[in-house]
Amino acid sequence: MLKNYLLTAWRNIIKNGMFSAINILGLALGLMSCILITLFVREETGYDKWLPDSERVVRMHSAYINPGSQPFLTVRSAGNMMEAVRDYATNEVEQGVRLIQFGASVIQKQDVTAERITFVDPAFFNVFDLPFVYGSKETSFKKPLDLVITEEMAIKYFGKTDVVGQTLTVCCAGPEPSELTVTGVIKDLPKATHLNLDLVIFVLPSIIENNPGLSSWTSVNVYTYFKMREGVSIDEFQQRLTYWVDNESPLSEGLEPGRKVSHNMKHKLMPLEDLHLHAKKDAGNLGDLSPLGDASMINAFSVIAGLILLIACINFMNLATARASQRAREVAMRKVLGASRQQVTIQFLGEAIALVFISLLVALVLVELVLPIYNQALDSELELALFSDPTLLIAIIVIGLVVGLGAGIYPAVYLSRFLPGHILKSNKSTESGRTSGFRTFLVVFQFTASISLVICTVVIYAQTHFAQFVDVGYNSDNKMVLAINRARDKRESLRQELLNLPEIKSVVFSSEAPTQDNENNSFFTLLGSSQSDDASTNQMSNQGQLLNLHNMDYGFFEAYDVAPIAGRLFDQKFGSDEVTSVETGQHAGAASAVLNQSALAKLGFNSAQEAIGRTVAANIRGQQHFKIVGVIPDIYFRSIKFGVRPTIYMLNPQRLNVASISFNTNNPAQLRTQIEQVWKKHVPMQPINLQFLDSMMAAQYNDERIQTRLFSAFSILAILIACLGLYGLAAFTTERRTKEIGIRKVMGARVRDIVGLLIWQFSKPVLIANLVAWPIASFAMIGWLENFSYRINPLWLIPICLAVGTLLLLIAWATVGTNAASVARANPINALRQD
Amino acid sequence: MLQLKNLSRIYQSNEVETVALDQVNIDIEKGEFVAIMGPSGCGKSTLLSIIGMLDKASDGQYIFDDEDVSGYSEAQLSQIRKHHIGFIFQSFNLIDELTVEENIELALLYHNIPADERKQKVAKVMDKVGIAHRAQHMPSQLSGGQQQRVAVARAVVGNQSMILADEPTGNLDSAHGQEVMEMLQALNEEGTTIVMVTHSPSHADYAHRTINLFDGHVVTQSIRQAS
Ligand SMILES: Nc1ncnc2c1ncn2[C@@H]1O[C@H](COP(=O)(O)OP(=O)(O)OP(=O)(O)O)[C@@H](O)[C@H]1O
Ligand SMILES: [Mg+2]
Repeated sequence: MLKNYLLTAWRNIIKNGMFSAINILGLALGLMSCILITLFVREETGYDKWLPDSERVVRMHSAYINPGSQPFLTVRSAGNMMEAVRDYATNEVEQGVRLIQFGASVIQKQDVTAERITFVDPAFFNVFDLPFVYGSKETSFKKPLDLVITEEMAIKYFGKTDVVGQTLTVCCAGPEPSELTVTGVIKDLPKATHLNLDLVIFVLPSIIENNPGLSSWTSVNVYTYFKMREGVSIDEFQQRLTYWVDNESPLSEGLEPGRKVSHNMKHKLMPLEDLHLHAKKDAGNLGDLSPLGDASMINAFSVIAGLILLIACINFMNLATARASQRAREVAMRKVLGASRQQVTIQFLGEAIALVFISLLVALVLVELVLPIYNQALDSELELALFSDPTLLIAIIVIGLVVGLGAGIYPAVYLSRFLPGHILKSNKSTESGRTSGFRTFLVVFQFTASISLVICTVVIYAQTHFAQFVDVGYNSDNKMVLAINRARDKRESLRQELLNLPEIKSVVFSSEAPTQDNENNSFFTLLGSSQSDDASTNQMSNQGQLLNLHNMDYGFFEAYDVAPIAGRLFDQKFGSDEVTSVETGQHAGAASAVLNQSALAKLGFNSAQEAIGRTVAANIRGQQHFKIVGVIPDIYFRSIKFGVRPTIYMLNPQRLNVASISFNTNNPAQLRTQIEQVWKKHVPMQPINLQFLDSMMAAQYNDERIQTRLFSAFSILAILIACLGLYGLAAFTTERRTKEIGIRKVMGARVRDIVGLLIWQFSKPVLIANLVAWPIASFAMIGWLENFSYRINPLWLIPICLAVGTLLLLIAWATVGTNAASVARANPINALRQD
Repeated sequence: MLQLKNLSRIYQSNEVETVALDQVNIDIEKGEFVAIMGPSGCGKSTLLSIIGMLDKASDGQYIFDDEDVSGYSEAQLSQIRKHHIGFIFQSFNLIDELTVEENIELALLYHNIPADERKQKVAKVMDKVGIAHRAQHMPSQLSGGQQQRVAVARAVVGNQSMILADEPTGNLDSAHGQEVMEMLQALNEEGTTIVMVTHSPSHADYAHRTINLFDGHVVTQSIRQAS
């Protein structure tokens, strides 16, 4: 029985070569897309789940809410929180650990290599039970400054992994290098973790105690993790934490009755397993330990995978039912010979599943072929480990079965419905108007999905492109950015020597370069106005306005071609612009400040001119009064995704982290080497960190670029599959209409008339699909664009929809037309003679 | 073998009512060879499909092997059909994707017969109709007469006691038509009941009895004179 089914199925596949090829190719492309997306989604959703007890680990995120401004969000928390919470919530918390990450360097003989070091509390390996290659969680971290390294680091510095007891010279927070002893070697971490570890060090308590940024209740500089006790839910722990913060923590001391800490400051717990995909909404501008995923992208791509598969299944359904009359006789005969409807249904379902599994094999080969490109596009290391990964194998088999059943059930039920009695009525067409109507409906659906996808792709592309090329308000050409935060004392000598190079036009210092953001914010109070007179009477409760703060040295704006719209820029010749430290109790210091346009409104000025000469007060290196000397336009220092914030600029030499080097050369690579040599001479113990500004700016749009690439690839696939189906359907219809076409030609119709006739038949569904797709895609994309503070005008959707619609119609015409033309050109006698 | 009592079949389509069979009474004995004749559209095929349980009467009684099957369900009819009735059609109705042997075997597939026994039966019947040398050919490689022989083989391979043939010679030239008629006659002599629709008076002569239909009515039943 089975053999007979298989034979019929196989010979049907062979006999209808073209239709089978269309089905197999369509399904294979659909399955390939689905497998590729599944691989990606599986990795993205599997982050950190492989860690032992991962479901019990949570991280504490912080948010500062200041009515009237954007909240300040971060996934870090204050250094003092971990121990206090751990010791208070003993019923909920089993262990707690802090991570502090620094860029540092490893010194070996004369070589200095930049590395990332992570300071942790000794309980680190109790919270993150990472596998050790040498040593163990019990034997490492016995004393402060014990070092645990990854295999990769061990190989890099020692050439082998068995290095417990060896030492490594690490130069970290301070200028003094220290010799650290390796107490353990852990396995390299897989990609699917948000942890980003190379060198892990048991933090020296004094590092935290002596650093006001780390031993603080409000300054958020550490990553705090808790391992909860078994059976404790995150909600219980969260409640307990919020209660403690509001009622028993040092933060709550001295607050007016009725006010709660949690009104202004949130401590939110997030499960470890959610971090990769959901931390983005808590992360603000500071980011996380490793690049975060995007849950909405995962959802979008899952939907796309489903749509593409559906389009491929519809091809199968349409071609199978269109050809039903060819097999009606077989069905009837089987029934005459005693087959039940059920048996016939199962036979056709089996055929569908067999075809899907053939396609699945083709798809797996395709996946292997395109995986390298796919990985490159996604910047990932996905692999199709079918045999070492049984869940993947099962998932793929399940996908095959679901697709087989999904695609096969309708044709099977439809085909098995033929009654044996019909067999006696020779040559009566079994085609009813209803089923060809249903096929048209399915084609409309396919094209609605493809057109929507293409419109979304174009909009996403336009928005990304737009974001990248919008005028940021400053000149970013021909610049390199050199980190100097580890060589602040050497910066002047560096500058002098760099300026000796003829290619270098200027070297200016600032706290951050474009694309960087240290989230430095302070409260500023406007002095001498009627409002602030009110405010000064009530200074304690009025903290002033929160402004974003950037520090720079003279010449910064000039180097970036930023001109003031009112007043002047910082200028050495006034001698009064710089911030100097002020002891508590002394008179407020005096310095100058420049505002951006957004800050004007925030401080209550009606025009730029109005602000010039006014004074704002703030507590920065002591109490200071800043005279506003100039106003510049809003410039997009960060990605325009984030918009512009009210910003104040000042000259604070203590806060300079980077040098912007403007150059003029035909050989940037050579200049780079020259700069590296200068660096090596002045700062031999630190590795250089030098980047081209244009690549830093391009990197801000990496996520969007990846999204656009994937969207484009998958929407092209969707169209391709839909057109394959359309081609099959058209070929079949023309085949059935050869006789009609022959008669029409005998009657005098021209090739043109006939091609037109056939093309019109298939234009209708595409036209209808456009009408359905336009509003759907527009609605979705208007929603998506809302995510951007700076976005393309939604009216662009109209030409985009029209253009995409026309394009798809042309593609459909080309698809149908080639086939129709060859049929129409054939000699009518041939068509009429065959009977 | 079977009795039709006051049997009617009315087709209802798009407000048009066609009375294909009107109050037909027919008895057919075991081992009989009956020909059905009549002009096109008089209801011959309809009658045959009701006898073959491919269709159901609108009214009247159908008694098959002393059992009233008028009220039987599709599934019950299908059971009787597959064990007792074989079919031969004007257009052969072979499955193009299967070989001669597989086409014949198809009739046994739904019978729960083990594979080797199936093979034996198929080989035997292919010998009988003289098609054994073409066992591995596809239907499209055979002449019409050969195809019809395969169809006959398929109709009898399950030891069916009755064969229903709807214009079995309609698509064949006279030589091949003759061949098929002789085959049917031989089967009848072995005891198989045969009901055959035909337009050819000379082929009707092979039958013991001819039923003439006109516009859904039985007009005459002539019994062949022993020759
Ligand atoms: N499915 C149907 N729906 C409606 N009317 C039908 C249907 N099948 C047959 N008829 C009608 O029933 C009548 C008898 O048809 P039937 O096929 O039995 O004739 P026939 O005697 O076999 O003709 P022929 O010799 O041409 O094969 C005809 O008028 C026909 O139009
Ligand atoms: Mg007929």
